[in-house]
Amino acid sequence: MGRTDHLQGALDLLILKTLEKGVNHGFGITLHVQEVSEGLLRMEEGSLYPALHRLERERLIQGEWRTTENRRRARFYKLTAVGKRRLAQAESNWQSVSLGIQRVLRSI
Amino acid sequence: MNWIWTRIKRWLNRDNEWREEIEGHLAMRQEWHQARGTSLEEARTLARKEFGSPLGAAEKLRAVHIHPWIETLLQDLRYALRGFRRSPGFTLLACITMAIGVGASTAVYSVVDPLLFRRLPYPHDAQLVSLGYFGPIDNNEFNVVSSYLDWQHYQKPFQSITSMRPVEHCDFLAGESPLRLDCYRIEADFLRTFGITPLRGRDFTEDDDRPDAPAVALISYGLWRRTFGGSESVLGQTVTVDDHVTRVVGVLPESFEMPQRGDVDLMMPERLDATLSRSQNSSSFLRTFARLRDGVSIEQARAQMQPLFDETARLDTPPQLRSEVHLVLRSLRDRQIHDVKLASWMLLGAVLALLLAACANVANLLMARASARRRELAMRAAIGASRSRLVRQTLTESLTLAFAGCAVGCVFSWVLLRVLVHLSPEGLFRLQQARIDGRSLVFALAASVSAALLFGIAPALERPRSDSLIAWSSPRPTRTLSRRILVAAQISISLMLLTGASLFVRSLWKLETQPLGFESEHLVTASLAPPTRHYPSPAARTAFFNELEERLRRIPGAGSFALADSMPPQGGARGRPYSNLLIQGHPPVAHNGGMVLFRWVTPSYFETMHIQILAGRAFIEDERGAGESPLILSASLARRLFGNENPIGQHIDLELSGRWSPIVGVAADVKNDGLTEAPSLEYYRLRMKTAAPPDLNVIAIYRTSLDTPTLSRWIREEIRTLDPALPVTIESMEQRVGRLREQPRFVASLVTLFAVLGLLLAAVGLYGVLSFLITQQTREIGVRMAIGARPRDIAIEVQKHAGIWTIVGIGAGIGGSLVLAGTIRGLLFEISPYDPRSLILAAVVLTVVAVLAALVPSWRASRIDPMLALRSE
Repeated sequence: MGRTDHLQGALDLLILKTLEKGVNHGFGITLHVQEVSEGLLRMEEGSLYPALHRLERERLIQGEWRTTENRRRARFYKLTAVGKRRLAQAESNWQSVSLGIQRVLRSI
Repeated sequence: MNWIWTRIKRWLNRDNEWREEIEGHLAMRQEWHQARGTSLEEARTLARKEFGSPLGAAEKLRAVHIHPWIETLLQDLRYALRGFRRSPGFTLLACITMAIGVGASTAVYSVVDPLLFRRLPYPHDAQLVSLGYFGPIDNNEFNVVSSYLDWQHYQKPFQSITSMRPVEHCDFLAGESPLRLDCYRIEADFLRTFGITPLRGRDFTEDDDRPDAPAVALISYGLWRRTFGGSESVLGQTVTVDDHVTRVVGVLPESFEMPQRGDVDLMMPERLDATLSRSQNSSSFLRTFARLRDGVSIEQARAQMQPLFDETARLDTPPQLRSEVHLVLRSLRDRQIHDVKLASWMLLGAVLALLLAACANVANLLMARASARRRELAMRAAIGASRSRLVRQTLTESLTLAFAGCAVGCVFSWVLLRVLVHLSPEGLFRLQQARIDGRSLVFALAASVSAALLFGIAPALERPRSDSLIAWSSPRPTRTLSRRILVAAQISISLMLLTGASLFVRSLWKLETQPLGFESEHLVTASLAPPTRHYPSPAARTAFFNELEERLRRIPGAGSFALADSMPPQGGARGRPYSNLLIQGHPPVAHNGGMVLFRWVTPSYFETMHIQILAGRAFIEDERGAGESPLILSASLARRLFGNENPIGQHIDLELSGRWSPIVGVAADVKNDGLTEAPSLEYYRLRMKTAAPPDLNVIAIYRTSLDTPTLSRWIREEIRTLDPALPVTIESMEQRVGRLREQPRFVASLVTLFAVLGLLLAAVGLYGVLSFLITQQTREIGVRMAIGARPRDIAIEVQKHAGIWTIVGIGAGIGGSLVLAGTIRGLLFEISPYDPRSLILAAVVLTVVAVLAALVPSWRASRIDPMLALRSE
């Protein structure tokens, strides 16, 4: 994400959206964002965990230790009901913001 | 519960968990790179590079997890401390005020806590009661064996009822040196009723309590350590108690206390004998205690015991006394503290009032500071500090102040407690046992925190107003109003304390200067109690007393000397019912006359004590050889018995014995029932050379110009020659009288101390408010002076401000004093709690102090330079 780090909302949105598809761990989220955005978006991995923990504190996601397919212990995160509601809000919010920004960009 | 535990474990383990999560991530990334054909080394480097600094991540994680309020708290604390450093004068004043309030109240709390609040050291202590007859004979309820045996048999409300004999001294011999101990005879189930088991050995059994059982004893923890060095081998050891061989069967726990809080060294079975006749058992005295059944209240128990009591009272009390005794059944705590209960509550109330005044003062200081910082607070609100954030900030400040005040206050309370112990070393308050313990510290902390909330809440709720950002807005009137109300409240509290102090001091003064009926100066007394078993026969006793008198009289330069068996002004003299007196040739006296005290004295008693003989004559030496012991009546007894008739030459039968004693004189009344009670009826009997009085207690009285230590050396020497094992207590009459004044003196000095502190606080409060008002109105005053006001007008204006609120405070204080006055009536001697002179005195003192406190600010106001005032701001 690089530059957009200070737009915390964007990072949260990506995390929540990724978890909407199903339970995942931190590395899985990084990978998913990278693949789906076809390499356009790369998360700064060091910032991912503080964000995950903050979201967990806010009860938007819930973490649990489980074993991966490769028999490795990892903390899996799951979207909570509150998280789902927040995601819907954030998505529509983001869309209107990005629409607005696009319009501004085009007008020049 | 479980999830809390899980959370705590997670919280403790969180660093490990974070590390594991991050390391897992790195490993998965590394595997991902390796799966794409990168070498192991390269994959590891790439993974680390992409992740960034793991330490930085951990740091950010920690920031997420630290509770935000801790951060805010630390921030607030730093801010508060910075503020205090900037205004050291304010901080010091607030701290000292808090320390005075908290310190004084903690010291008093630690004195009254063991009396009023502490649990008694027995399991289920609320179930324990003391019960018995209450009559003019004793200050506490007592019982007689015959009634007690019936109660034990027929009572319903108690799980168990038990008894003990009043304390007696016993001579104890274990090894070499004899000891004189405080001994009790208790019933076998005494300790069990109180829920106490011996620390070592066993309790008494029913078999121990039979009249013919072998002698056994329980010893106190103190005696065990002192005499037996705490050795286990004491159990089963035999000792000598009053010449009887006795086996020690157990040791009492260290924390054991007698239910009436007496000292105890040794306990022996009581051995009541139900086979004795009712009349024998009805003149044998006991103390009775009981444990209520579950769910039975004291009132219910009293109601259930009443019929039984009436029945036994009919059998066991002489008909003349019957209407003067009644049943008393009260909680053990009330039994223990009945003589200091009122004083304890009063002192606690007074000191809490002082604490309240201190709170008002600190609140005032804080509000003054808050108004000075109005603009700063408004600024902070304007740039986005939320209301709750500002309130929290202000409360943090007051709590910090409170904790500082609490710490200093604890030190102060410790010092104050030492002073109190010095004031009343052996008094009724048992100050030796009072100390600053955990409970006192909890009290101090609770007092500080509630004080902080009390004085912190008002300034915290002041809403910062944006218009205070504009420089020339003047303070809102309501704000100064609340400050003035606080000052008025302080003044009224101070007035109440002053009124109380002046009442107690005047009452003490009356107590100290009242005529006792004799002169206590230059009197030295020596009291002895020879054990009965050393002088078993009347002849042996007579010989002993005659020799004692001869020896003590011989002391050179000792002055005038007399022997008596008891002395005023304490109670404790022997007494008998008034209704037992028979006058020769007169109809029987009225019933219900209460008790009449009497003493056995030698002829020089009246001369030595300086008791006036009002009619007839004193006893003379020549009468002591033969015949019936003559009588001298106290003036009030003579009046009661004979009215206007001349008592001299009349004869009285004192104990329904058929022996008639001649009345030879009438003596002036003396204070003989303590200092506060009116004199009791009293008569004197002459100690004959031919027959000693039945009471072995004897007091030698000297009116002497020798100093007490010299005389006491002589006395001890004489008595040692007579009986080396006989202990003597020697003290001056002033010491004896002083002991009776200890409680009033203690109460008076303490309340006076509180009143002075309260006055000081009120003065500081008033001074503070006025100074603040003047600073606030500097500009206004400047304008008025510029347009022609004279400095004198300004000064009067300020004084008027002070005057109004002082008058309001004094008015409220007088009202409060009148409302509360009735509650302290029992603590005052010969002075009405509504005594107008005390109220007026308090009001005058306060007014003078208020004027003085207003003097400096008003002088400063009158010196304001209009030019400077207008240019400022």
